[in-house]
Amino acid sequence: MTAQAQPISHAHEGHHPDPREHLMLDPKPRGEMNAMVMEAMHATSWKFWVVAAFLGLVVLICLFGAWGYMIMEGLGVAGVNRPSYWGIFLVNTVFWIGISHAGTFVSALLRVFKAEFRRPFTRAAELMTTFGLVQAGMSIFMHMGRVWLSYWMFPFPNQRQLWTNFHSPLMWDFLAINTYLLASTMYLFLPLIPDLAMARDRSTGWRKALYRILALGFRGTEGEWTHLRHALGIFAFAILPVMFSVHTIVSWDFAVAMRPGWNSTIFGPYFVIGALHSGIAAVAMVLIVVRATMKNMKYFIRPEHFDALGKLMLIVSMAWAYFFFNDYMVQWYGGDKWTDALLHFHEAGPLGWMWFGMLICNVAIPWLTLWNKKVRTTPGLLFTIGLLINVGMWFERYIIVPISLTINRMPFTWREYVPGIEVPLGIGTLAFFILLYMIASKLVPLVPVWEVQEGQMAHSLRKFGKETVVTVSDLE
Amino acid sequence: MPDTTTLLAVFPDLDPAARALDELRTLGIPEEQMNVIAGIPVTEAMLGRPRQWSNVPRLALGGALAGFGVGLFLAVGTPLMYPVYVGGQPLIPVPPSIVVVFEMTMLVMLIATFVGVFLDSAYPSYRPKHYVPEISDGKIGILFHCPAGETQKFTQALIKLGAETVQPAEAQPL
Repeated sequence: MTAQAQPISHAHEGHHPDPREHLMLDPKPRGEMNAMVMEAMHATSWKFWVVAAFLGLVVLICLFGAWGYMIMEGLGVAGVNRPSYWGIFLVNTVFWIGISHAGTFVSALLRVFKAEFRRPFTRAAELMTTFGLVQAGMSIFMHMGRVWLSYWMFPFPNQRQLWTNFHSPLMWDFLAINTYLLASTMYLFLPLIPDLAMARDRSTGWRKALYRILALGFRGTEGEWTHLRHALGIFAFAILPVMFSVHTIVSWDFAVAMRPGWNSTIFGPYFVIGALHSGIAAVAMVLIVVRATMKNMKYFIRPEHFDALGKLMLIVSMAWAYFFFNDYMVQWYGGDKWTDALLHFHEAGPLGWMWFGMLICNVAIPWLTLWNKKVRTTPGLLFTIGLLINVGMWFERYIIVPISLTINRMPFTWREYVPGIEVPLGIGTLAFFILLYMIASKLVPLVPVWEVQEGQMAHSLRKFGKETVVTVSDLE
Repeated sequence: MPDTTTLLAVFPDLDPAARALDELRTLGIPEEQMNVIAGIPVTEAMLGRPRQWSNVPRLALGGALAGFGVGLFLAVGTPLMYPVYVGGQPLIPVPPSIVVVFEMTMLVMLIATFVGVFLDSAYPSYRPKHYVPEISDGKIGILFHCPAGETQKFTQALIKLGAETVQPAEAQPL
């Protein structure tokens, strides 16, 4: 008897996707791309102003109004009290720092690894970093209560004969968040300079004056590009450890305390991966909104980008589950009486639904949906999944902060945390983030056109036998 | 110094610009008398130009060293000036000091990198410059000095190689 090989499928006849589906293989003249980006900035419908006015009102009332009221009345109007001294303020701080991680991750890490799909949306992600950190910083100042004494964190000789203790975890936070804010703002600005020069060349009136100042006199000489390229290379590598350090240090605020549920050696990477989980989901959400609401953005932001981001979301979801289980497993197995009580409280306490909701949003939903390309490339579905992941990640921070503070080694202090003025303040930060982003989208070229053109120059199609594949040249 | 004129030739693409640079060299224009202006980061190798010098990496290194010093001052120097013993730790505990030194090293290094771009590129500079807005539309500009009496020869040579325009460069407000 002889064995005969059988073909497992038919030959690839007539099954060639259109390469122009990829932005990098669908180039337009640079002038046309510039005009498209400028039109996206200029074209503003009445709906934009209505939404902006509404958000402005929310910011005025919920953020600055409520904050002013809290300053006048004192922290008593907030729900923080023994034993949960850290409430939604700190939940939001951790949440917004997490959101801010996506910008650096998308821009720097993908730049280092030369992931080409990053090109059209690095700036959209970097803007999230800066504006997210603004909200995180404000949430910390709210939490301080007497915000006017924040200068006590600066080192200078004073009458009190006290010096800032830089070995305190809260000072690590101060240094790390400020380092990250400054670094990410500089990293946002540097690659923006050529696009500001482009905007300067195409604007009139107050915009011309603004872009002329911001473009600093950029022309695009060989020297200018060389210095910019060196600086971006240094930033891309150096900002990554800063990014990792920020959320690790935030996690140490918790982990260095001898509290059940917090004192964990894995909290650093667990926080970092959590930050990426919420941040990448938020990038996807922002891109979907930008694509749907801004003119010409359908050319720059395509299903291929959602597909790539969806895959990233799925991988990060798996990594988050891995770190979560590590943290949970070790604490559960340890058998410490108070840790057991806390874990039971997480799952079966009055807010147990939040614990299960976290697992459903962060693990079950991404795993059940994002393996499917159709889901990843459908903007509405990806937006919903991104939103649910962010809800799940907010739940996670709520469980870590006030819920975990409820159970400690002194049962007579146990008391459930009920938020007060923190709720409108939290809504205010969300509105402020969206408002800042909307304003920026009208002032800043949201797509780094020069990076897109550079990518399009580097891409080409090449034939291997009957197969046509995309090849990328290294232009740097 | 002989009388010279500055010309700005604008090319639609990289290839004719690279050929034009070769031609200018053949016609006796030294490298330092030429400059390429582009809306994308065209590398020196693409145009056969000499490698550009940049102080940015050195400034970044200097910034890192300075930041390391600032971090040491905060983590080690200040407790020595104002000794406060906290949490049963020694006056200068090593692990927390590493955190402070790391953050300050990175911060000052990145600030130095950022400032380095400003110093090397002489930013901000709002005085009139040789430039045409078409550059940011993807055109490649070649700015060069040539003998005043030979502008016609250079203009014809570059037009022949694909230049869209070759004009005496005039400094204009950007």
